[in-house]
Amino acid sequence: MLLLAFRNLVRRPLRNGLAVGGLAAGVVALVCLLAFGNGYRRGLQTELDRMGLQLMLVPLGCPYDAAARVLKGKTLENSLPEAALEEARRDPAVAVAAPLLMASWPRPGAGRADLWVGLDETALELKPWWHARAGEKWFTSGDSVVLGCDAAEAEMRSPGDLFYSPEAGRKLRVVGVLERSGTSDDNLFFVPLRTAQEMFGQPRRLTAVAIRLRDPARLREAGERLQQIPGAQVVTLTEMMGTFLNLVGAVRTLLLSLALVAISVSVLGVFNTLLAAVVERTNELSVLRALGASRLQVFGLVSTEALLLAVSGTALGLLLAVAFGPGLEHLMKELIPMAPASSLFLPGVATLAPCLGIGLVTSLAAGVYPAWRAGRVQPATALNS
Amino acid sequence: MSKLLILGGGAFLLAIGALVWRSSQAPATERPFEIKNVPPQAAPLCPWREPEADLKRFFPNATRYEVETLILSGSRGELAERLGRIPTGDENALRLYRVFQETELLGCVMTQRVKGEYGAIELVLGLDTRKRICGMRLQRMREPEPVAHALENSEWLGSFTGKDAASAWKIGVDLPEVPTEARVSAEAVVHGARSLLVLLEVGDRETGLASKSPHH
Repeated sequence: MLLLAFRNLVRRPLRNGLAVGGLAAGVVALVCLLAFGNGYRRGLQTELDRMGLQLMLVPLGCPYDAAARVLKGKTLENSLPEAALEEARRDPAVAVAAPLLMASWPRPGAGRADLWVGLDETALELKPWWHARAGEKWFTSGDSVVLGCDAAEAEMRSPGDLFYSPEAGRKLRVVGVLERSGTSDDNLFFVPLRTAQEMFGQPRRLTAVAIRLRDPARLREAGERLQQIPGAQVVTLTEMMGTFLNLVGAVRTLLLSLALVAISVSVLGVFNTLLAAVVERTNELSVLRALGASRLQVFGLVSTEALLLAVSGTALGLLLAVAFGPGLEHLMKELIPMAPASSLFLPGVATLAPCLGIGLVTSLAAGVYPAWRAGRVQPATALNS
Repeated sequence: MSKLLILGGGAFLLAIGALVWRSSQAPATERPFEIKNVPPQAAPLCPWREPEADLKRFFPNATRYEVETLILSGSRGELAERLGRIPTGDENALRLYRVFQETELLGCVMTQRVKGEYGAIELVLGLDTRKRICGMRLQRMREPEPVAHALENSEWLGSFTGKDAASAWKIGVDLPEVPTEARVSAEAVVHGARSLLVLLEVGDRETGLASKSPHH
């Protein structure tokens, strides 16, 4: 029966090929959506964990926007009083409180902006991935600057070179160039915190304070205490991640419905293909019945055709998704906020198995009516024709 | 039929196995937070930042330009001899912008990033069809005010006009003197401009593009 079903399908290669292609497209959409959703969640969680931060103190305003901008190496319009840092460091639950002052000087003629970051030595505790590609990874004097690797390449600087900030009128000495980290650090100019405060006319002001707790389990109580610091508000990284995931989740729901529409359309394609085949082959099926084939055998024949279409379409879809998913990942990373560096496309068994099941079951279901109709063909039809 | 069933089933299982294996090969990374654009591994090419303004300045009659890349990797020996140093990796190729008035070639524009004393300096050179400088501009630098003033001085920049790869380029002799504090960066600018002319001369000859010019 399998051979007969296969031969029946091969008789109409274009029509059946299109049905298989449509089903494959629907499966690709579903696999990509589930795989990207899982990869994004896992990547974001891993990277936030690796940073070892639990909290950020940011200026009053939208806390999530502020925290996201700081993490992505962008500047804030508001600033914190340095007293917030001192109070945070006095909190018994705080292990590390690392201040930073970020400032941006747009250079429209150059088509870019200089991004300066002032840090103190506590920053090294939160940046374990920092390694010097050349020179030192930390400042040797108040007039020293450490450059991210891309910034150093764009400015053609290496350790020992002079570096000038035209806007601040300050001459600095490059003491180190960082190894590529794949983070926004690669494009930044790092200077000591005090130097940054002088350069940007922000004495005793900060952009944010990154905080690691001694015991992450005390997050809530520490957050409540730190929230009392005047002029500052607390953002937990967990809350921020939750916000990102909610945003992504809303988009994901929309995309999931689109993927289901794609699957539905492809299943209708399978249904249409099989029904057309049954109508077209009414005489043949009648002859089969006249020769002694039972209703169940004819039903089974068409169902087997549906099975073959389902298996080939779903398998093709899974293969295409795995083959082209990494390529789509580049596009996705352009569009989503705070894209983790790790692979977003994670087509694990937990993702592929449901897609396989949905593809097979829905396609088989699409074959039920055509198969039932085929089984109802009367032997007399062949004799009459 | 049973053979077909076994073959089909085997192929399906193989496909699923391949998928599972592929999914287990997902690359891991230790880099937290990736910036939006994947950074290049080498120093980025110097872009031409203000084409419209530069075309008006260097070629007022220009109506369009075309981008070309000349491959110079086959001429590294000659380049080393003419430049007086080993060509850098970036100098294996030369990007230039041929400028036209409708179909007539007017010249070309080239850009170069050089190492100034306090940061990178980006040059824009306009060349006529005889590969002589017809205009020069510094499109980006971060030099202190006195140095920037000396380098952007119209008399100093104007003194490059008419120079070609064979010209003499000594500051204070063939080009106007600059203040002492601007000397390092001025040398870098001169060296960058001359290098571009040498690269163009070698590249144009290698590719035979020079013969396309109606003025040649």
